[in-house]
Amino acid sequence: METAAIQTHGLTRRFGALTAVEDVTLSVATGQFFGFLGPNGAGKSTTIKMLTGLLEPSAGTMEILGQPFGAGAMNLKQQIGVVPEGMALLGRLTAPEYLRFVGRMYGLDRETVNLRTEELLEFMKLADERRKLITDFSHGMQKKLALAAAVIHGPRVLFLDEPFEGVDAIAAGMLKNMLQGMISRGATIFLTTHVLEIVERLCSHVAIIHQGRLVANGSLEALRAGVASSLPGADREQRLTLEEIFLSIVGASGQEQTQELSWLT
Amino acid sequence: MADLAGVAPTTVAGVGPLSRLSRKQYVALATMRWRLLTNSVRSVQGAFELGARGVAFLIYALMGLGLGIGLGAGAYSIASTGKWHILPALFWLVFVVWQVLPVALASFQEQFDLGMLLRFPVNFGSFYLLNILFGLVDIPAILGGLCCVGLWTGITLARPDRFLWTTFVLAVFALFNVLLVRAVLAWLDRWLAQRKTREIVSGLFLLLMLSLQLLNPALRQENNHRSRNFKPSPTRPKVVREIPGWTKAARAVLPWLPPGLAAESMTQAAEQNMASSTESLGFLGLYILAAGAVLGVRLRSEFSGENLGEAPARKERVEADRRWLIDGSGPVAAVMEKELRTIPRSMPLLFALGGPLLTVLIIGTVIRNTASASGHPFLLAFPLCVSYALLGFTQMIYNNLGAEGTGIQMLFLSPTPIRTVLLAKNLFHGMLFCLVAVLAGIFAMMRLGVPDGALIAATAAWLLFALPLNLGAGNVLSLTMPYRVNLGRLSRQKGSQASALLSMLIQMTVMGVGVAVIEVCAHTRRMWLATPIFLLLAAAAVFAWMRVLGHSDSLANRNRDELIAKLAKTE
Repeated sequence: METAAIQTHGLTRRFGALTAVEDVTLSVATGQFFGFLGPNGAGKSTTIKMLTGLLEPSAGTMEILGQPFGAGAMNLKQQIGVVPEGMALLGRLTAPEYLRFVGRMYGLDRETVNLRTEELLEFMKLADERRKLITDFSHGMQKKLALAAAVIHGPRVLFLDEPFEGVDAIAAGMLKNMLQGMISRGATIFLTTHVLEIVERLCSHVAIIHQGRLVANGSLEALRAGVASSLPGADREQRLTLEEIFLSIVGASGQEQTQELSWLT
Repeated sequence: MADLAGVAPTTVAGVGPLSRLSRKQYVALATMRWRLLTNSVRSVQGAFELGARGVAFLIYALMGLGLGIGLGAGAYSIASTGKWHILPALFWLVFVVWQVLPVALASFQEQFDLGMLLRFPVNFGSFYLLNILFGLVDIPAILGGLCCVGLWTGITLARPDRFLWTTFVLAVFALFNVLLVRAVLAWLDRWLAQRKTREIVSGLFLLLMLSLQLLNPALRQENNHRSRNFKPSPTRPKVVREIPGWTKAARAVLPWLPPGLAAESMTQAAEQNMASSTESLGFLGLYILAAGAVLGVRLRSEFSGENLGEAPARKERVEADRRWLIDGSGPVAAVMEKELRTIPRSMPLLFALGGPLLTVLIIGTVIRNTASASGHPFLLAFPLCVSYALLGFTQMIYNNLGAEGTGIQMLFLSPTPIRTVLLAKNLFHGMLFCLVAVLAGIFAMMRLGVPDGALIAATAAWLLFALPLNLGAGNVLSLTMPYRVNLGRLSRQKGSQASALLSMLIQMTVMGVGVAVIEVCAHTRRMWLATPIFLLLAAAAVFAWMRVLGHSDSLANRNRDELIAKLAKTE
């Protein structure tokens, strides 16, 4: 049996009285493009932070590539790439300086770091901005740089928290191709985003978290079939979009969707 | 379902800084600040921080009171004896406290960034007024204000008949200082925001330091020349020295500068010459207008949403860009190289490093001028000058992760233990410290002369004790009380008063130990003993530093949430 790339058992995180993530158990197979969805404040970023060692779980266990994972698991960190919520950039460095710094922190040798830095800068269309400090980059440019830094060491598992936010359509298309290329070479990608079309196009498996609890988990087709089966006879035949599946599962009622503000024009 | 009913006329109209809308905004801001304060005590660290702020405020208040009482006594003496020609010196002292202290404290005190107001319908008048109002609650403004109250009390007690005029003149002088300091800080931030201007300012700073070095031998040469040609008169007291010629120009200019004008206005009023007094005050008013205008120009640009970003990128040869400053692929070299590249781009850190060196020159000069009749400065002059250089490292050492910002996440994500990161930072800061200490030592020797060999050895050994102790304590505070440092700004930083207070206490302890050991050894005529004592203490300090480093990963993991929340979150 093939080892799961990511495996969690009862993953829980509490902040005082608030339980942000509760009893999340999931498994992501190696080579899978996994979409992790949920409304704002559902616990997506908290889950990613725990899975990448940025946040200590209150309870539960995690395994990455078949090994227990925690903040001290340095050998596993070498296999992981992350674009976290805050992008983890150093504003007072230039893009090449930052990429070289990250490469060296992951233990790459000089030639590899230099080569990959140049390739990534060219690929991300950041080569013309090599003298500019990162703090002066646009949000989209910072996202591209964060993604470049996340892959410079060739990770086997990639965690992406809203990687396409603020990225223009051309760059987004390019990044999608890059990520699909990684999948075809055996990498595993764990993606959270609010752009459901991207998940629908890229991900083979999806999990939905709502109010800290996992409310759906499976292949897109399985989720579609599950939701369709609960619909009235005539509607069962139509092919549901991910947005419809998502809204159906997180329970957005008709009233919530049509509620309006009386004082707005 | 509710229908759309259009926009109800609930917005408040207003254009001026005192309009209804503006007043509502001031109330909202005050409420927001109050909420921030009350919310800050929800956590233990927040409560500790608030307590530390209270203690720091008390210390500054005591300093201000001390200064105020001293100035008050001086002003009383001047006013009651009619020696008004000395009064400008007091006004100059207040001016220096008010204008120099903010730059020195800019990196260490929390200041509110008014840029966040630009998204709201705040008019320029309100923006300007708020900038000044927030400036009034700065520590230097409070100190300067207390100094003015001291002057006012002293003069009023001696000359109650001049009560109203004294109040008016001091209020005008205070207003000028408030406007000027806000203008200086606003322009400094503007200049330091861009690489080119930053480099020019750094260059000017270095030039200033070199000029002071050249000034010394030049003045000495002139004095020697004068003393060779000088035939002392038997009737002239020995203490009177010939006043150098260049001071004549200074004496001609100083009365026309704001502190001189304020003092002149007071003097003329005391001599019942109200026309001249009003004239001086009028000139001071012109300075106020000028300072206000300079501030206005800057704030207008900020208000218009100016982008202080770097100039458009220049295409340069890729090969030149590939250079590594510190060789080796390991994380230690990577972190050291990152630090090396970051510091020249950070004016708060450059100022923190260069400021104490400049002060060493000034302190050295003061000590030399006040040296005993034998011409030898007091015993501790050299070690104190050199140890003063350590003060510049306070922020760097005691908040060594503060400049990482969101990059702190990278440090936790990478397979490099935090202790390796701290080790690299400590090594880099240690090397930088040694360089600065050597420079400070050279500067001190140039001003004070070469001290006894045993004293030099004791000073070096004291530094060997002070450095690891500070690094160890700095690592603990950096992991437990971090605060985000904006490297692009000199002012409007967010700081941690608790960290500042604790670091100050540790620095004072280290200095106290140094003074005690040297004094005791000198008193017992065993100066040679100071070096081995300090070396023993240094060994203990290195041991403590290594223990801290060994536990830094567990400490970092325990405080990981707090570290990331404080350093990575943008507020």
